[in-house]
This record gives sequence, structure tokens and C-alpha cells, in this order.
Amino acid sequence: MFEDLKPKKINLTEWSHQFRKISDQIIKKYKYYGNQDWGIYLSPLATFMVYGARQLKRLKFDNSFAALRLWGFVFNESERLFRAKQVGKKVIATMGDLGTIPVIVMSFPDCIPFYPECIWWTPFFNESFILLDMATKLGAPEPACFSRAALAAFYKKAYFPKPDLIFASTGASCDDYSCIMQLIEGLGYNPIWIEIPFRRKSRSYFVADDYEHTKWGIDYPKRFETYLMSEYEKVWQNMVEFTDINNRNYLAKSIKNANRLRKLVENIKKLSYEAELAPFPGLELMVIEFGNLYGYADFDEWTDIIEMVYETISERVQKGEGVLNPDALPIAWVTPSPDPYLLNLVEDLGCRIVATEYVINQALVEIEEDIEPFQALARSFLNASLIGSTEQRVRRIIEGVEHGRILGVLITNMLGCSHCAMETRLIQQMLSKVPVLSIDVPAPFGITEQLKSRIAAFVETIRCARR
Amino acid sequence: MRETLTPRERFGLLVIDEKPDRCNIIPLVTSHAAEIARMKLKKYYTNGEAMARAQIAAIEEYGHDAISIFSEVGIIAEAMGSDFDYPDDDLPVIKRPALTKKNIEDIKIPVPKRDKRLPVYLEAIGYAYQSLGDKVPILAYVPAPFTTGMMLSDPKTFLIQTIRDPDHIKKIMEKSLQAAIEFCYDIIDAGALPIIVDPLASSSVVSPKAYKNFALPYERALIDFLHRYDLDIILHICGNTEPILDLLLETGADLVSLDQVDLSLAIEKLSKRMRIIGNFDTSKIAFSSPEEIMEEVKNMVKRGIKSKKGYIASTGCEVPIKTPPENVRTFINAAKEVGWYWE
Amino acid sequence: MIGYTCSYIPVELLAATGLKPYRLLHGDIGLSKDGERLLRIDACPLVKSNIAYIVKNQDKFTALVGSTGCDMARRMFDIVDELTDIPVYVLNNPRTDNPKIFNDEIDWLVKELEHLSNRKLNDDLLRLEIERWENVREQYRTLNKKRAANPSLISTSDFHKAAINYYKGDVDAQINITENHSVNPRVYLIGSAITYGANQILELLEQELRIVGDFNCGISRFLNIEIKDKNLNGIKHAYYNQPPCIFKRPNHKFYEWTSSQLKKYACDGIVAWTLDYCDSYEFELKRMESRFGFPILRIRSDFSFQNLSQIKTRISAFREMLCSKI
Repeated sequence: MFEDLKPKKINLTEWSHQFRKISDQIIKKYKYYGNQDWGIYLSPLATFMVYGARQLKRLKFDNSFAALRLWGFVFNESERLFRAKQVGKKVIATMGDLGTIPVIVMSFPDCIPFYPECIWWTPFFNESFILLDMATKLGAPEPACFSRAALAAFYKKAYFPKPDLIFASTGASCDDYSCIMQLIEGLGYNPIWIEIPFRRKSRSYFVADDYEHTKWGIDYPKRFETYLMSEYEKVWQNMVEFTDINNRNYLAKSIKNANRLRKLVENIKKLSYEAELAPFPGLELMVIEFGNLYGYADFDEWTDIIEMVYETISERVQKGEGVLNPDALPIAWVTPSPDPYLLNLVEDLGCRIVATEYVINQALVEIEEDIEPFQALARSFLNASLIGSTEQRVRRIIEGVEHGRILGVLITNMLGCSHCAMETRLIQQMLSKVPVLSIDVPAPFGITEQLKSRIAAFVETIRCARR
Repeated sequence: MRETLTPRERFGLLVIDEKPDRCNIIPLVTSHAAEIARMKLKKYYTNGEAMARAQIAAIEEYGHDAISIFSEVGIIAEAMGSDFDYPDDDLPVIKRPALTKKNIEDIKIPVPKRDKRLPVYLEAIGYAYQSLGDKVPILAYVPAPFTTGMMLSDPKTFLIQTIRDPDHIKKIMEKSLQAAIEFCYDIIDAGALPIIVDPLASSSVVSPKAYKNFALPYERALIDFLHRYDLDIILHICGNTEPILDLLLETGADLVSLDQVDLSLAIEKLSKRMRIIGNFDTSKIAFSSPEEIMEEVKNMVKRGIKSKKGYIASTGCEVPIKTPPENVRTFINAAKEVGWYWE
Repeated sequence: MIGYTCSYIPVELLAATGLKPYRLLHGDIGLSKDGERLLRIDACPLVKSNIAYIVKNQDKFTALVGSTGCDMARRMFDIVDELTDIPVYVLNNPRTDNPKIFNDEIDWLVKELEHLSNRKLNDDLLRLEIERWENVREQYRTLNKKRAANPSLISTSDFHKAAINYYKGDVDAQINITENHSVNPRVYLIGSAITYGANQILELLEQELRIVGDFNCGISRFLNIEIKDKNLNGIKHAYYNQPPCIFKRPNHKFYEWTSSQLKKYACDGIVAWTLDYCDSYEFELKRMESRFGFPILRIRSDFSFQNLSQIKTRISAFREMLCSKI
């Protein structure tokens, strides 16, 4: 697509310039739902800026063709969901569980799962208070997770179509999500509630439960597996009732598809984090990780994009090329930032993200294929970030610190977010062997010089500690 | 009825074939905005920030659904070498077309960030985008190659050459197209959606045949370029376009803004593939009573919202500069009264 | 003592271990500030206070029983676990209309408590405890009738002082409440927990209003537990079927139940007491206004009570507004 492109991060104008070299034929090659009229998504970032994504003017992006595909596809999601309905597909909102229910939904032909709460990035990409202000008018308090934007989006019906079904998780998921979903129900929607049990870790004095371990070594009471399976059965039955289709073989296939993507993403992370030079920017890597949730509403096309990203990264690693300075300091990022600019900023100030805990572990782990599908789903979900203890959540980061792979930890918090309020100090304590910076993500367009100075000081502290 | 959406959201739904809460209402408030901002016209069209401020003042005054960055159609021709006078209280007036001074081969493609008043537009877009870009779409009017071509020449000679020396005209067109593409390129990067305006291609000015041979191919080429960006492109041709309605489908425009056309006929012919914009008579908005405007706009909008692929309530052409604000308000109120899609 | 945090935790089971059930309802600014050393400022003040209280008084607790009532309440035991050696048992309480997990969790809790106390929680023992606690609840129910009478005969402030005995496990304490008639506007109190230290806010409210009913943890919610079958199943049934916590999804039953109480108690208005960052109520306040159709006085607190005079003025204005409606 481009010749002799040296990997680097470029801005929107540079991307527009580069985009001119792409032929019409290539542009037409990539499309979603196979549609040639409106399914084209290979647009430069400027397109989305014209349609209101104002932050794109300030962000920097990877300059690879794969990144162009990735961003075009991600920013096209809203239209894609509307188009899905227009061509007779069913759009199913799957809120709160972050990773498992979509695998079930995708077992039903022409059913497209999506996560309304992923709209939390929109106020930041748009540098806009429209959704947040509307959420406040509808009852969401201001100190709460930015995913409250989903409430406004449901009200406005302009960011995604009215879902045909809504599965909403509650229990040991984030309270803010659950409260937002409850308000959404108050708008006249009718979610099917799914209960997520708290994953109680084993203790020496417990005698009553049999415990199992997940693939990632997290212990859980065995009976919670059965409990989750019954909840997934409920999802399945609702889908059967809705679609009049009942074929469990499709579920096995759906799990295979999910695993294909999960393996790719795991390999991408491994390659990126272990390479001598960072082959891909942290912002794109975050978007890739979140793609595991539901493939941005076209799972097959997204997987194809991720394959291309994997090839790009592999090639760069082979050639020893990177997008960041060779002396960038390896850090872990805990809790995803709703403000994409922060990821740019942290890299610009000298860090390199080599480990993440974006509260979606359950969407990263492979699902077992040699056991009963619902059991496999339950066992994969039991790796979830937010349903257990803080120690379990950051265990992998702690290991990275112990092994010297991680020299600093950045935690992003949302004021009023229940798990941030409770976990951050504890995480700071658990990771105190390295510098830890905890920052509150400000409202859109709110990153100040003061915050930049704090991050710069954090970087300097890591540098000093390394010396 | 309560408005649920911002103009940006409303426009966003329209271009993906979804019905918004109500129809978009975008009367072509261009230089009339200077009047609202109590600004000298010369300041409006020579100072980007002033143009944006005037447009924002108009949005605040009327609450319509888009910002229109525009003064007159000579802007590219001027950057290519045509001379214009800048009267204090009127729009620029062409003094000497470029092709009366030099050959087409000697005319350079302008650099939009540098040449003549093109930077004024870009500055205006940047300012408006920063101020209201999250809520309101910014539309930047780009003269189509045919209109620019005619502004590069003496109009009479130009029209004669369409018959006597079509190759020469095509050279002019090619260059004008390149200039328009470069301008669009920077407009997009500044944050606006280009609208292609081709008033001099109207059937009030040229024959359908001349339109087909010299205007349409370059409109389409420009639209094709913009489609590479996956943008939804508006084509505006004022005056009478009834004789070329069928040809408009060939331009590839996603939205078509019409003036002196029977709206029902336009809907019948175009609305399966295009969204329709229009088409309230601009002399009526300037001179009719609010009561008359109210009634006629309602009738227009009631017909317009039946358009299959969507409809924008608008004026057929620019709102005349001296139009009483009361009339524009009435236009908007009338459209808001009857233009609802949602229950 | 065995500490516990939630209305869904059966006090009878805790008491059957031979330990004294102690409801963690601490809320004062001093403790809350201490808790802030361990948590972010935007943590719930009740949780901050409770953690600080537990850490300071860890010798008093043999065990702690928590629930997943809300995210912060559940996570507080992560902190406790890090800072103390007290055994903690966090059970999943009902968050949707599905009794299975709750019933299983109660079975689990029973086994763990048996192991902890080295005592079999058999039917006989449970019957004894159920009768003991039912008897106490019955006494409070009698008092509650007086509180709800029209005109109201006892104040909620006095009721709360007495109910503290229940929450602290002092079930044998004498319950004496002097009658104190009031013809002030009748209000219903809902919202976050009323802690041991929050009695002053009740007193302040009742200088101008009379609280005749409530749905806050910490006052009279326990009266809704009525165990008919004096065995473990009876416990499960009574606790599961109590008027639902606002956090149960969907929460329309909370609204239905509260609406019925508002009618039953002939209330004129509602006082919504919310602690800072208490998601369960903060998110619902706006909806409550439209769903209940009663005037609502919103009082937000971090237990500092620094703004009492301001609150007092607002209470007066609220009273005036209610009187003009009556």
C-alpha cells in the first residue's frame, strides 16, 4: 500500500497527505457487511474529524496501512450499527459483562452484539459535553464513570440504533454500569438482567467450597461456574426465542472465532511488549484490546484487520523498527483511559506501555474448546478483572514488576467510579516497588499543563530509579 | 415537540439514511450572517475570524442546523488570478478575469493556505469548528469547476468557446478542478464538509447540453474525489434546474440543493438516490410577510419530508443579505412545526 | 463480636455462632478521614468509616461478614484483608430476581460459620435464635406502629437510638421510648445508611418534620424480616423476600414498595439522605422525583455536618412548602 514507510506516529494532516497515495481500487477493497455503497471504511482520519471527532486534530496515529484500516473501521462503528438494522440484521446490546455474552450472541445468524458503554470514548474524541450533559439531565450524577454517556446515547438514538435485545449484567460488575443501565431501563428499554457473582478467592479458613483455577491461575468456587452457566443458558434461551434458531453447533463455531481473535491479540501484545523497540503505539494497542469484546460490530472484518496489524507488527519487529524512542521507559497501565490523548501524551513524555490491565481480562483469555461451551464460557469469564479481588486483578502486573519488566505503573481513575475509589490506593501499595502515578482523568478537553507536569515528573522518577 | 438532537447528530443521521428527530433546517444563511452580526460585508469576506463570528451569531440568532462558510463564488477564480474589487458594503465584484491577462497554461493551481482569500475560508472553518464543531456541522461552499472557469474568463467569451473551442474550455475545467480539489483537501483538514456550488451551470445560464458536456463531468470528478474520503457531498445549483434534473443523478452527489424546481417533481425524480435540499423562494423570504412565509414553508416541508432518502428544509439559494431576520425566524419556526419524523 | 454490613445477612445465623452480631454502621468524619488514608477521597464515607473502625478495633472482631450489596461495600473487605487478620466472609446477595445464588450462599455461610465457631448450626439452635430475634423485632414493630400513627407518637430519632441496640447485637437491652406527639408534616426517609453517628441529622429533621417511615439501612429496615418457618429455609425465604434493596435489578419493586409505604403512612413528602458517592441513590434521585410524585428534600453528606445551619434552613423551607400543600 505504501512503499518504504518508516514506522512512526503521524498527525491527521500527515495522514491525509499519505492517504492521497492510496488508489480508489484499494479504498473500495475494504468494506463491512460486504456492501459496496456504504460499507467502505478506509477513510482518512480527517473524515471523522469533519463529522465531529475534534480530538483527532491533536492526536498522533501509527502511519501503517493496517492502522488506517483499524481507525477507519473503529470510527465507522456507529454507522455500521445503523446499517446493520437497515439490512435486516439484529442489533443486540450486551452491557456490563465485557466479553462473554457477545460470543453467545454471535452464535445466532445475523445478530450483531455491541457494547453501548464503549461510547465513553466519544465525549473525548469529540471534545464535547453533549452526551455527558444530557446524561446529567437524565439523572446520572456528575462524579461517575464516563460510560454514563451511554445513557444519553440511548435517549438520543443517534449513536446506535434501538437494540433489538439488551442483556445487562449486574452483581459483581462495576456499580456505575449497573446504575446507568437501570436508568436506561427507566427510559423505556427492557433489558434482560444477568447476574454476575463475586469471585470469592479461597482462604485458608474456608472449608465449604471446592475451588478451581482459571487458565490465568485465578481461584474461584467451582459452583460459580455452574451458576454462570445457568445465566448463559438464560441468554441463550432469550436469543432462541427472539430468533427462532436453536443450534448449539453455532456456539462452538462462535467460540472458535472468538479464540482466533483472542490468540491474535495475545500474540500482538506479546510481540509488542517484548520487542526491543515498541513496534506499535499504545493508543492503537488499546483499541485492539477492546476489539476483543465484540469486534466493533463486524467480528470477521475486525479479525481480518487484526491479522493485518499482526503482520505489520511482526515485520517491524523483524526489521527492528519501532515508533517510539529506544530509551522509552516500560510502564504498565491500569484501568483504561477514556481520554485517548492521555495515551499519546504518556508516550510523548517518554514512556512505553508494556503491560495493561484494562478491566477486560475476561475478553483476552482463550476459551476452552474441548469442554461444554457454556462451561467454557463461564470458565473464561471467571478471569474477569472486576469481579474479584484487587490482588487478583493486578497479579500479572505485580509479576512484571518483580521481574523488572515494568519500571513504573500509571493508574487512570474516574472520579466517582466505585472500583477506582476502592482499588487505587491498594494497587499503589501492592506495586510500591516501582513509581506509581495515579491520575484522575479530567473531563473532555481538560488535560492541563499541571497534569502534563505530573506525568513528566513520573517519567523522571522512573528514570532516576532506573539509574 | 422537544428537540432531542444537536444539529451535528441530526445531520449525522440524515447521511446514513436514518430519520432524525425532525428534518434538518438549513436555510442558506451565508453573507446575511454579516447583517446579523452588524458587520461590514467587506470585513466578513476578508477576515476568517469575522466570518466565523458572524456565522456563529447567526446560529445563535436563528438556531438553524449548519454553519455556512461562504461569501461568493469567485473565490477560487480570484486565487487563480482573476481580479476583484472589495466594496465595503457589498460582496466582491469581478474586475478583470484571469484569462483576459494570461493563458490558461500560465495559470497556477492556488495554494489554499496562502493565496488570496482562500485562507480566509480556512481560518473561518478553523474558528467555527473550534467553537461549535461538536454541535453544528460546518459546511464550506466550494465553487465547482464550471463556475470557477466562467469566473476566470469573460463570461460571454466562455460561453461562445463552449461551442467553438470545447478543448480550450476543457483545459480551463481541468485546471479549475485541480484548484477545487486542492481547496477541498484543506477544507476537510480544517474540519468542514465541502458543498459543491455551481450556480453558473444552472439552466438559467447554460443549456442542458452545455451542462452535460462541461459542468457535469467536473462536478462528478470533484465529487468522486470527495467520495474517496467517504464524505457525503452536497451539490447546489441555484436557478432553474428542472431541465437537468435527470442529469443530476449522474453527478454522484449524495445531497442535492435545488432552487427553482417543482419540489414534488424533484422528489419523484431524485429522492430514491439523493437527499433533497430546498427550495424556498429567496425573493419570498426577503419580501413576503411572516404569515405568508409561515404557510408556504409549512407546505414545502410537508412535501419535503416525504422524500425517501431524507430532506433538508432550505432556501433555494442564499438568504438575501438584507432579509428581515423575522422572516428567517419564521422560516425556521414553520419548518420546526411540521418537520418532525419522530413521534 | 462478628461484624456484618448488610440487611441481607441473617443476623440469626451470626448469633447462632455464639458471637454477638455487630452491624458496621459507623459514620463520622473522624473515622472517614482516617479511612481516606487507605482509599481515595471519592470512596463512600460509610465504607471509609467502617474500614477505619475495623482497623482500630480489630481485636474486638472474631470475624466479619460482608455482602456484595454494592461494589464499595464488597471491596472494603479487600482492604480489611490486607490490613488485618480477621477472617472475612463476603456473600453474594440478591442482585436480580433469582434466589438460587443467594440460597446457595447462605448454605455456604452456614458451613463456614459452623467451622468458625466449631458449632453445628442445627435446626434447634436456629429456631432458638430466630425466636429470640423475632421477639425483639416484634417489640420494635409495636414501637413502629406508634411512630407511623397519625399523629405520630414517637420520633424516628428516638426510634433510631433504640434500634442501635438491635444493630449492635444488644438484644436483651430494654427498649424505652418516651412518647413525643407531633403534628409536623409527615415525611418518609429514604437513601443511604443512617449510621450510629447520624442521629443528629434525624433530630434536626424532626425539629420541623416528623419522619414516619424509612427505607434506610440503620433504622427500621430489619422490621421487614419476618421469619415464618423457624428453620434455615425460613431464614432464606424471609431475607430474600424482604423489600428489595434499590440495587436489585430491575429496581421497580423498590419503587412499588416505597410508593405503597408512602401511601400507607400518609406522607406529605420525602427526605432523601445520600452519602457522597453513593451510586445506588445518587443515580436514582432524579427518577424518584418523577416516580413518587412527592416533594423531595435532598440532603447530601460526608458526615462532616459542617453545614447544619444551611441544612436547617432548607428543612424549614421544605416544611413551609409542605405546609402550603397540606
